[in-house]
Amino acid sequence: MAVDPQPPASVARITPQDEAALVARAVAGDRAAFGLLVERYAGVARRVARAVLGDPDDADDAAQDGLLSALVKLEQYDPRRPFGPWLLRIVANAATDRRRRRKVRQAEPLDPALAAGGPRPDTVAERRELSEQLRRALAELPERRRIAVVLFDVEGYAHAEIAHILGIPEGTVRSEVFHARRRLRVLLGDWKEQ
Amino acid sequence: MTYEPMPFDHRPDAVLGAALRQALDPGDEAAFVARVLARADQARATAASWAAVLARWAGAGIAAAIVIALGAGYLVGRIASGPAGRPSVTEALIAPPTQAPVVDVVLASVLER
Repeated sequence: MAVDPQPPASVARITPQDEAALVARAVAGDRAAFGLLVERYAGVARRVARAVLGDPDDADDAAQDGLLSALVKLEQYDPRRPFGPWLLRIVANAATDRRRRRKVRQAEPLDPALAAGGPRPDTVAERRELSEQLRRALAELPERRRIAVVLFDVEGYAHAEIAHILGIPEGTVRSEVFHARRRLRVLLGDWKEQ
Repeated sequence: MTYEPMPFDHRPDAVLGAALRQALDPGDEAAFVARVLARADQARATAASWAAVLARWAGAGIAAAIVIALGAGYLVGRIASGPAGRPSVTEALIAPPTQAPVVDVVLASVLER
């Protein structure tokens, strides 16, 4: 069972039924309905795009492309299925396309000391450093692995939903999440000790 | 106490998830939403203006097609109802005579023999 993704509080109470109704209204040209859908999925769309692209500006451009592309394709959406995975598949594809088009920035290698587990990040600066190291570690992972772990551990999607988003078997999703976690947990090892 | 999740844990890892969320969260979500909606409005306006242009072109196209059809119809009708051309040799031979032969001329030709 999937943990519900965490949208903004203003739109958190939207149920799947409401979501289908919102889609229908958006298809009919209701700007407010599309606005609610964008509000609900902006966060996850941006994070998934950033997991793929790394650069936050590129990621926002890709997330925007994905959301607008979804608006154009809304009539193709099957309301019997969950909206989130359908939308995120489009966003992930938009991010992947953008990454292919641009010259890929080489990720800086991870600091071995940090990879082995650095000091516990109590301060804001240390947390920021941890975030930077996590982003670098993510950048070293294969793209599919990055998206899988973000969708599973950050956004709370089920393996089956992630399989639909990525167009791969559910077992492969489990494997991707496992390998991504193993890599990323090294960074968090010391921090998790209490 | 050491936090040691199982490698094949079916549940999301809350600690890793929170750290990743913090690492990936770009912030200023309201500005992003406003930007997307503005872009969607712009796209709609562009689509609407194209539709208007195409509608105008369609109107002109229909008017031109009507004029051409009327002109063609007039020409075809005129050709169909116009005077017949010169008959061919075969038609002339097959066609019945338009007036009866004059008897004097026929008799004269016989007598001359």
